[in-house]
Amino acid sequence: MEKINAIDLTVGYGKPVISDASFRVYPGEIIALIGPNGSGKSTILKTITRQLKKMSGKIFISGDIDESLMDNELAKKLSMVMTERIHPELMTCFEVVSAGRYPYTGRLGILSAEDKRIINEAIKLVGAEDVADKDFMKISDGQRQRIMLARAIAQEPEIMILDEPTSFLDIQYKIDILSVIKKLAVERNIAVLMSIHELEFVPAIADKVIGICDGSIYKIGIPEEIFTGANIEKIYSMPKGTGDKIISGLLAYSNSIIETL
Amino acid sequence: MGSADITVPQIFKALINSGDAYLDKIIFSIRLPRILAAIILGGALAVSGFLLQIFFGNPIAGPYVLGVSSGAKLFVALTMVVYLGQGKIMSSAGMVINAFTGSLISMGIVLLLSKRVRNMSMLVVCGVMIGYICSAITEFIIAFADDSNIVNLHNWSLGSFSGISWENVYISIIFISATMFLTFFLSKPIGAYQLGENYARNMGVNISALRIALIILSSVLSGTVTAFAGPISFVGIAVPHIMRSVMKTSKPIVMIPACFLGGAIITLVCDCIARTAFAPVELSISAVTAIGLAPVVIYLLIKRKETGNGKN
Repeated sequence: MEKINAIDLTVGYGKPVISDASFRVYPGEIIALIGPNGSGKSTILKTITRQLKKMSGKIFISGDIDESLMDNELAKKLSMVMTERIHPELMTCFEVVSAGRYPYTGRLGILSAEDKRIINEAIKLVGAEDVADKDFMKISDGQRQRIMLARAIAQEPEIMILDEPTSFLDIQYKIDILSVIKKLAVERNIAVLMSIHELEFVPAIADKVIGICDGSIYKIGIPEEIFTGANIEKIYSMPKGTGDKIISGLLAYSNSIIETL
Repeated sequence: MGSADITVPQIFKALINSGDAYLDKIIFSIRLPRILAAIILGGALAVSGFLLQIFFGNPIAGPYVLGVSSGAKLFVALTMVVYLGQGKIMSSAGMVINAFTGSLISMGIVLLLSKRVRNMSMLVVCGVMIGYICSAITEFIIAFADDSNIVNLHNWSLGSFSGISWENVYISIIFISATMFLTFFLSKPIGAYQLGENYARNMGVNISALRIALIILSSVLSGTVTAFAGPISFVGIAVPHIMRSVMKTSKPIVMIPACFLGGAIITLVCDCIARTAFAPVELSISAVTAIGLAPVVIYLLIKRKETGNGKN
C-alpha cells in the first residue's frame, strides 16, 4: 500500500504555488522532486510535514487521511530533514539525535536502554560516532546534516521527507548522505520523498522523479523517462538543443557514481 | 545584621524558644517571611525568564527587559489605588491576579511587536521602552494618589522585599509551586521546542498549546513576583544563562530546577546586600541585581554579536 498518496493537492501561501498535484510514494521507494528554484518543491514538502496548511485536495498517510492523524501519531510515521538551520544551545549531537525518540518516550522524556540503542544505531548508520559527544553548534555543516538525518532515523518513521538534503555540502558528504538514504529505503523499507537540486545524482539514486514547473506537476516517471533533453529544457526553461548535451553529461556522471552509493 | 542589630546566637535562641518579644517579632514577622519570599520569588523569576527565552528562542529575553514586569506593576498600582480610594484593601491573591493580568497585557503587546520586528535586539529595545512607559504611568498614579498607604507603593514600585507578610508568602507558595509543577511536566515538549518549531511539530508537539502554556506559566511566575516584590531587574534574563554555563546543558529537565535554585540563591544574596550594605537605609533590590547581573547581559550581547549567532 502507498505510504503517501496525494490527490489533487493544491499548496501555497494564500496563493497557489502548485495546483492539483497527484502522486504516490510506496514503501522502499525514493522519489526525487526536481524543478527550478521557487517552483514549489519545498512548498509541497512543508505541506506534507504540516508546516503549511494545504489549500485543497487530500493527503493519505499510510492509508489514513491526513486530518484524522494527531500530531503525535503522524510523528511515529513521518520524520523530516528540512533546510532550516537549528541553533540548539549546549546540546551534544547525541542529544539532538535523541530528540527523535520524542514520540516514544514517557511524560518526562527519559530515554530507556532501548531508546539509547536506537539512537546509537542511527548515529552509526550515518557514520557520526566520532562527533556524538560534541556540541552540535561546533561541528561542520556536513557533520550537522548527518546528525539531522540520524535524528530523523531515530524517529523510526515509515516515511522520510527530505528537503535538499545534499545542498551546500562537499562531494564526499553528498555521496555519504545519499548512500545512507539509499540504505534506509532498501533495508528499512522507508518511503523517501526528497527535493534535490543536483540532477547528476538523481538517476543514480531515485526510483521515480517528479518534475515540476509552472505551478503544477509536469511529469512523473522513472529517471530514464524524465531525463530527456526535451523534458529538461521544458522543466528548467532552457533554450532548445541545450537539454541533450546536459543530459548526456549528466547520465555519464550518474553512471560513474552509481557504485559508490 | 540589618537595620536592627541581632547577633547569630540571638537568632538561634529566638528560633528555638521565644524569649524576647521584640526579637521574636523582628525575626518571625519581618525577617523570616522576607527570606522565604526572596527564595521563592527569586526562583520563580529565573524560571519565568527561562520560559521566555525558550519561547523567543533567544537568550536575551526576560520578564524585566521585555516590559512584562513593569506591565504587571502598572496594573497592580492602578487597581490598588482604585481599591484604596474605596477604602478597601486588596488581598494577596487579588494582587497576584491583577499582576498576572498586567503581565499578560504587556506580553500581548510584546507579541504583537515581535510579529513586526524580526530582530530580537529591537524587540528588547521595544520591551525596555514599554517598561519605561509603564513605570512612568505608575509614578504618576502614585504621585497623584494622596493616601498615606500609597507611600509603601513607592518602595515596592522600585522592587523590594521589605514589607512581605506571611500571607504574601503563603499565597506565593501556592501559586508558584502549582506553576512550577506544571512547568516541570512540560520539560519534554520544551526540550523538543529547542530544536525549533518545525522539528518540534514533526516530533508530535502541539505547538500552539505549548506556546500558550509558556506564555501563561511565565506570566503567572513573573506576575506573582511583581505583585509582592515589585519589578526585579535582570534575574530572569541572567540566571538561566549562568545556570546553563554552570550545568553545561540546556536540557529543561535539569534547567528548570537549576534555574529555580540559582534564582533563589542569587536573589537571596542580592536582597541581603540590599538591606545590609547601607543599613539602616535600604537599597531597592533592582539596584543590587542590576549592578551584579547587567554585566552578564552585556557579555551575552557581545558574545552573540561575535559569533554572529542570530536566529537564522
